[in-house]
Amino acid sequence: MEEKFKEKYFEISAENLKRFINEIIADNYEVIAPANKDGDVFYGRINRFEDANLDVLLPKMSYKEFLLPGTETLFEYSFSGVETGIKDGLEAVNGANQKRIIFGGRPCDAGAGPIMEKVFNWDYKDEFFNERFKNLTIVSIACEKPDNYCFCTEMQLSPESSYGSDILLKKAGDKYFATVTSEKGLNLVKLRQSLFNEAGNDKIPADKDWKKIFEIEKTKSFLDKNFEHNYYQERFLSCIGCGVCTYTCPTCHCFDIQDEGNLREGRRIRNWDSCQFGIFTLHTSGHNPRVTQGDRYRQRLMHKFKIYSEKFDKYLCVGCGRCSRNCPEDIDIKEVAKDLAELA
Amino acid sequence: MENIYLPKLAEIKEIIQETADTKTVRLTINGGSIDFLPGQFGEFSYIGEGESTFGFASSPLRKGYFEFCFRTSGRATTGISGLNQGDKIAFRGPYGNYFDTSKMKGKDLVFVGGGIGMAPVKSIMEYCFDERDDYGKITVLYGARSVGDLLYKNIFDEWKKYKNTDVIITVDPGGETSGWTGKVGFVPTVLEQLPLKGENSVAIVCGPPIMIKFALKSLEEKMGFDKSDIITTLENRMKCGLGKCGRCNVGSVYVCKDGPVFTARELESLPNDF
Repeated sequence: MEEKFKEKYFEISAENLKRFINEIIADNYEVIAPANKDGDVFYGRINRFEDANLDVLLPKMSYKEFLLPGTETLFEYSFSGVETGIKDGLEAVNGANQKRIIFGGRPCDAGAGPIMEKVFNWDYKDEFFNERFKNLTIVSIACEKPDNYCFCTEMQLSPESSYGSDILLKKAGDKYFATVTSEKGLNLVKLRQSLFNEAGNDKIPADKDWKKIFEIEKTKSFLDKNFEHNYYQERFLSCIGCGVCTYTCPTCHCFDIQDEGNLREGRRIRNWDSCQFGIFTLHTSGHNPRVTQGDRYRQRLMHKFKIYSEKFDKYLCVGCGRCSRNCPEDIDIKEVAKDLAELA
Repeated sequence: MENIYLPKLAEIKEIIQETADTKTVRLTINGGSIDFLPGQFGEFSYIGEGESTFGFASSPLRKGYFEFCFRTSGRATTGISGLNQGDKIAFRGPYGNYFDTSKMKGKDLVFVGGGIGMAPVKSIMEYCFDERDDYGKITVLYGARSVGDLLYKNIFDEWKKYKNTDVIITVDPGGETSGWTGKVGFVPTVLEQLPLKGENSVAIVCGPPIMIKFALKSLEEKMGFDKSDIITTLENRMKCGLGKCGRCNVGSVYVCKDGPVFTARELESLPNDF
């Protein structure tokens, strides 16, 4: 086990934060931040601090893409005469994200990294994920006003949680307090240490008393006892199975493996997949263990609030609410989890 | 850094056309077999067409090759079916758990296979044949929809040569031909007619879900097998085989990691998600 990093505390003025970001961009760091695009806000590369949109609560998508790309080459292949050539896709990932900073994300998105890390390492080690994850530096900003879809507090995090962030910034007037939780975070500060002032822990504003509207343990206890229940079949009749919940989710990591190419060359790729699709579990024989959309949404609930938590003692959900915000049928997972907690 | 998705290339040593659409493929890596145990599975692919999951179908004690059996039914298997002896197949594995032979030693064994589900049964069955003295009486019951759908027709006689071994082959009613000398009847029905008792016995069952369901019922209720002495292997759609891609779970159990081999007792505690 790595030695536990002792948290360090700094403060930095808003003006210096801007300078800091602009200077590290000039140093060839790739800064990914919420930025306006196509009438919405997405995490994307910024060329200057002013391009970041730090007012938005959450970008449309999480930054899962930088840990588990939507499409990733596992290996490339080529056929020449009788020989089959295979080029390991890991070579391209080696050293990835070393100079990449995610700046201005939220504590929920930051929480997703270590949650997915467990899946990719509990037995076989997925070095595609690991190489990206270990190198990425995450500088999050605490939320001041979560919206009605947010429920990170119920998911063992909070709008001010530093879990998964290398640096958590808390805004206080025209300055930010910085909690540095890792060596990676400290190395980032050290790039321009003069812009930061050391601050004692006592100076960091205390977290607010965030209220929960349900207890996730109760939701789990319902799921433990009720694999078959009318709730699933009735509540999710309106679900059209589009899978947007899984694609926008920072922790949904299920993937498909496909080959694409021609008779001479090509690649084996993995793509994001979704448990909301009927073919996800379809057998060759035509048998499908999950026939209805209710069966499939139940799987999503089970995976997030029961299956994962039984293995890893955490939940596979950070409460960002993207699945609800983006759902064309306005299925609100927070309300669903609350319903189940009440039914338990 | 190791890429867990990177396959090895195996050479096709032999192809046996089992039925019109089903083939057995024998592979070698570096001229021989690989280390695996009966019940485990691998990911096989004709690169460019995608991977498929198959259980091993041969005894790991037969060192010259390892074997799987497939039915041509989609893009990936169509790719494999076009290959010839000497061609390369990409392979990852072995994965998953296996039949625990320590719990079978000294006991009478019943192997029950239906259709292509006989392939994984054949692996553990041949393993027991290879160490024949370690086990009591062996009964093999294998059935398919029709005579034309039976796999392994060319080796039934070989199975029958092992001492203290009964081999019963059956086809579903209507699936018999005029010259058919085997049984006619569904596997669970024929199973019930066999002089089997649950005491000091282990049954290994694999086949279509409906056959497994009724065969388990017959073994438990009519023949008094303990649920812990009935072993089956589950199939669920898989991609990675490594416990990551998230589709083969039955409730909290991952077929690729916790399975594919389960006892009837273990199945009892799983939700109806397979």
